[in-house]
Amino acid sequence: MLLKIENLSVKTYGKEVLRNISLEIKKGEVHALLGPNASGKSTLTFSIMGFPGYEITYGKILFEGKDITHLPIEERAKLGIALAFQNPPAIKGVKLSHLLKAISKQPLNMNHFLSDNDLLEREINVGFSGGEKKLSEIIQILSLNPKLAIFDEIDAGLDVINLEKLMWIIHDKLIRSGVSLLLITHRGNILRFLEPDVAHVLLHGEIVCSSRNWRKTWKTILRYGYEKCRECKERELCPNQS
Amino acid sequence: MKNAENVKSASYVQINREIRSIFAKEGVILLSSPEAYATLEWTRNYFNQKPIEGYFIWVKKRVEHPISTCFTISSPKTYQNPTNLVVVEKDVATEIYSICNAAKPILNAEHKSYSKVILKENSMLKMKHFHNWGKNDYVLSSIEFILEKGAKLSSFYKCINPPKKFKIESKTTLDNESSADFETAVLAKNGEIEMFDFLFLNGEKSSGMIKLRMISDENSKISSHSKIVAKGGGKGHIDCMGLLLSESSFINSTPELVNANKNAVLTHEAAIGKISEEELNYLRSRGLSKDEAVNLIVTGFLGEVSA
Repeated sequence: MLLKIENLSVKTYGKEVLRNISLEIKKGEVHALLGPNASGKSTLTFSIMGFPGYEITYGKILFEGKDITHLPIEERAKLGIALAFQNPPAIKGVKLSHLLKAISKQPLNMNHFLSDNDLLEREINVGFSGGEKKLSEIIQILSLNPKLAIFDEIDAGLDVINLEKLMWIIHDKLIRSGVSLLLITHRGNILRFLEPDVAHVLLHGEIVCSSRNWRKTWKTILRYGYEKCRECKERELCPNQS
Repeated sequence: MKNAENVKSASYVQINREIRSIFAKEGVILLSSPEAYATLEWTRNYFNQKPIEGYFIWVKKRVEHPISTCFTISSPKTYQNPTNLVVVEKDVATEIYSICNAAKPILNAEHKSYSKVILKENSMLKMKHFHNWGKNDYVLSSIEFILEKGAKLSSFYKCINPPKKFKIESKTTLDNESSADFETAVLAKNGEIEMFDFLFLNGEKSSGMIKLRMISDENSKISSHSKIVAKGGGKGHIDCMGLLLSESSFINSTPELVNANKNAVLTHEAAIGKISEEELNYLRSRGLSKDEAVNLIVTGFLGEVSA
């Protein structure tokens, strides 16, 4: 098992945001985490990454069998967990090329991702368009050569062409290399493109459904809304629930 | 030295009190300040007093490569007191790279320099000045710029290895349609830095910008006083940003705008704070330690320009 989350409860700003979360990701698996706004999706990603301000009140996080529940952020990154941010901060004065030089674990042929090197020579996320921010995040993730890549709404704010370009990169450079993925989203396009092995539904801080049939889960959400997933167990709307 | 001569238009190197090398190619006159004072009578109008050391640079024609100057202190308790004069002739563009430094970390040295730079009509000067001192040194760097009509100045000033006490003064007067942009980046640690930047927009359509980047590390204090006075109808802007890295850090930034012309526009912005946790966590999520992340942010904050 690559990532194992056991009965995780998390508080932030004194409020319990995640309750009793359990989730397992095997090597090479692609998981999608679906949920409406404020359901706790980003809290879960920040908790996996170990960000300060997210207090684990119960449960633990294991990575390749090692308990990482209280490891600092950078130690988790060094173990092979990488997070692509939904809203990455601007780092004034630091060029993307300088950051890549400092963090890179594998050489990348930038011609595969960029038509020119302009983006690399700009300050990180300063004046970047939505598409450029996502591309910068993916380039950083690839350079880290991770075992698990977490994408927090990588599809948000992208037009169809840019989305397709990024999906190809993720498919070609990560999935085909056996990297496990956790995709945070509430859009269907990314699911159709990347075909997750498992889809989880997070609602009010709890995983209410984990299904190996993402299409059925997505149809349920589209037809009845996320709340219906809470009733899933009773009404058997997700028959393939794992 | 031959290699250096290939890529420089002129060069002045002084170690302790002694001139180690001085040369200039066609188009530039480079003399020691005492020699210039003695042989070129007109320079006395610009030297405030008879100089005892320092350089005189007279750029008469456009030159291909930058001019470089260097003051180094390598012996303990050395005192340098140069008086420098730079004159850039009408319509000439040039670059000057200057270094003032101590060769060792503990020399208990003192360096007091007074410089004057005259930019004649429609001339252009790009100046980069780097300071690198030992932790017990005392340094004063005072410079006056006089910009004639249409002259343009771009000044980059950086110090990341500061002395015990560092005083930096600049005074700039601008005539019609001239412009001066100052970018100063300093880091203080176990010492004090005091900065005074005064800019006088005397001419119509003149413009000036003072951009300060200050980092105060442990047991340090930075005070900056930036002032723009508009007598002519120009534009001026002060941009002061400070970062505190330690509980024992201190920054006092005082921007001052004085507008005596209703057609002039003067603005300022200032912010002093600590490094954003969000930025730190972002870089740590890329596998950098907290110290590595701070170093990267600090390097970026101070600017990536190098000699």
